[in-house]
Amino acid sequence: MVKKLVILKDITKTYQTGKVSYQVLKGINLEVEKGEFLAIMGASGSGKTTLLNIIGLLDKPTSGSYILDGEEVSKLSKQELAYIRNRKLGFIFQAFHLIPWATALENVLMPLLYRKEGISKKDEERAKKLLERLGLGDRIKAKPAELSGGQQQRVAIARALIGKPKLLLADEPTGNLDSKSSEEVIKIFRELNQEGITIIMVTHDPEIAKYAKRIKIIKDGNFIEK
Amino acid sequence: MKFLYIQILKDVWKELISNKVNLFFMILSLVISLTALNTIYSLGYSAKEQILNALANVQFGKDAMLILAGGGKIIGLTTTRRDTLKLGDAKEIEKLDFVKLVSPISLGTSEVSYKGNAEMIRIEGVFPNYTIATNWYPKTGRFINKNDLKRLSKVCVVGFDIPKKFGIKDPIGKKIKIRSEYFEIIGILESKPTFGHFNRNERIFIPLTTAQRRLFNKDYIDAIKILFQPGTNIDLAKYKIRQILRKRHKLYGIEPDDFRIITPDMAIKFFTSASKILTIFLLTISLISLIISGVIIMNLMYANIEEKSPIIALRVALGATSQRIIIHYLVMSLIIAFISGLIGWILSLLILKTIAYFTPLKAYFSWLTFLFSLSFAILTTIVFSLIPSVKATQVEPSILLKSL
Repeated sequence: MVKKLVILKDITKTYQTGKVSYQVLKGINLEVEKGEFLAIMGASGSGKTTLLNIIGLLDKPTSGSYILDGEEVSKLSKQELAYIRNRKLGFIFQAFHLIPWATALENVLMPLLYRKEGISKKDEERAKKLLERLGLGDRIKAKPAELSGGQQQRVAIARALIGKPKLLLADEPTGNLDSKSSEEVIKIFRELNQEGITIIMVTHDPEIAKYAKRIKIIKDGNFIEK
Repeated sequence: MKFLYIQILKDVWKELISNKVNLFFMILSLVISLTALNTIYSLGYSAKEQILNALANVQFGKDAMLILAGGGKIIGLTTTRRDTLKLGDAKEIEKLDFVKLVSPISLGTSEVSYKGNAEMIRIEGVFPNYTIATNWYPKTGRFINKNDLKRLSKVCVVGFDIPKKFGIKDPIGKKIKIRSEYFEIIGILESKPTFGHFNRNERIFIPLTTAQRRLFNKDYIDAIKILFQPGTNIDLAKYKIRQILRKRHKLYGIEPDDFRIITPDMAIKFFTSASKILTIFLLTISLISLIISGVIIMNLMYANIEEKSPIIALRVALGATSQRIIIHYLVMSLIIAFISGLIGWILSLLILKTIAYFTPLKAYFSWLTFLFSLSFAILTTIVFSLIPSVKATQVEPSILLKSL
């Protein structure tokens, strides 16, 4: 049993635009244990989203090593990364990123479509239960456009959970929501964490970050110690 | 596992109908080009078939030949004397062992009148074997026989449209005036399909001897229709007949022929060359339309998927492999091509049937052309859906997700 879910060592990320290169991350070191609820805070442009994308395998670090669930992942192929994203990670984005022509239920089931087994009846029942639990039991047939921001984000949370991920990654999950919906969403996060799901959340809002068990602040591409 | 394919199909279908306008235009452009190409090709083919059938119908199949008096081009004014083809020539040709039948014809146009109706009508002086030579038999009454020929009888067999043209009721036994002589109608020929400008059903046939002596006052004939034994080498036959005629007409050295030998090949070539040029012209147009529609599809498909690249990135983020993305858009282009192919197929059949209903052309549907145009359409949709989707999977999803 691996205790540390995420181990980042000297992670750097440099963006190259023409001849100008810009180092966003400057040697990040981070360890996240199972069952943690970590908030990464920082001003815009501090590199917090880039860091989350690297943790979420949506972006590759320029250098450094990344061990996810006991496996070095910084050198894996696209195929293998897709597999890990599908099985081990759950994403929640600021702008929800739901597929506009699919219903709430179909959106939730989407990650399972990319598994060899496809979607079973059991999965469908589980998705319905998830939506019910998140208060959307009567909206499973609704398209994203017919849902409020808070409801859309809850569909996205259900989608992130359907694959039974080890790690939930949230990028400004309350950024597009009013304060009431924000509170609902963050409470869901708390509940999920209490059930044992590890969460890494990026936010610039201290009100939201205070719900996390641990807060790290990033500035100019590196963590600052409190 | 098998449900997975249905689930993928459902996923693709939902995406496809989410932009109905786009889908409509993609299908429309494909359908138009498919329909145009197939209809045009079919009509061209059908016109050619029609001519071949018509030729076969008048016994101008592959074992036949026609000799016309006067040298020169097949159609047009002759460039030599045209009074040199004689009955003797026909008799000489008949002696050849590969010749089955020889039917000489004397031609002329005379004023024909019946009860105050007068028309210029093509008169043909023929032998009794004309019916066999042209596969054309009387519908009622009888054809000219040997006795008519011997006695220079003033009898005639009329084409199917003649009684109507002159308003003759119960034509058999009635007398019709040709130039200044009265001829008794002894038969009416069955109706024959006509092509070109000449209505074959508006002709009058009289004994060859009567035509030469009583009507046209000429000792030469205008044409000889020859039927060969099955399996005759037409080229060899043509060569031998030409030698006989040149010798009999005393033509030596570089003196040009004063007759024309028309083989079925030449007739087909002549009658089909016009339709062939038209077919090529129309085919070119429809090929251009196919290419244009290809460009349109290319644009629509490319823009459509380019626009969707953030969605592709999202799918990748959720765990879709590049293969799955490619399968997704492959299935999508196949669906579009399949729908368009189906509509194009039905539409071209409908158009062909409609044209066949109003014109003598037969509806001929060419699967080869259809499959050719369909595969072209499929290829364009596939290529131009795969390029942008593959491109989208190459980029780090985090970059594309920003624009979602």
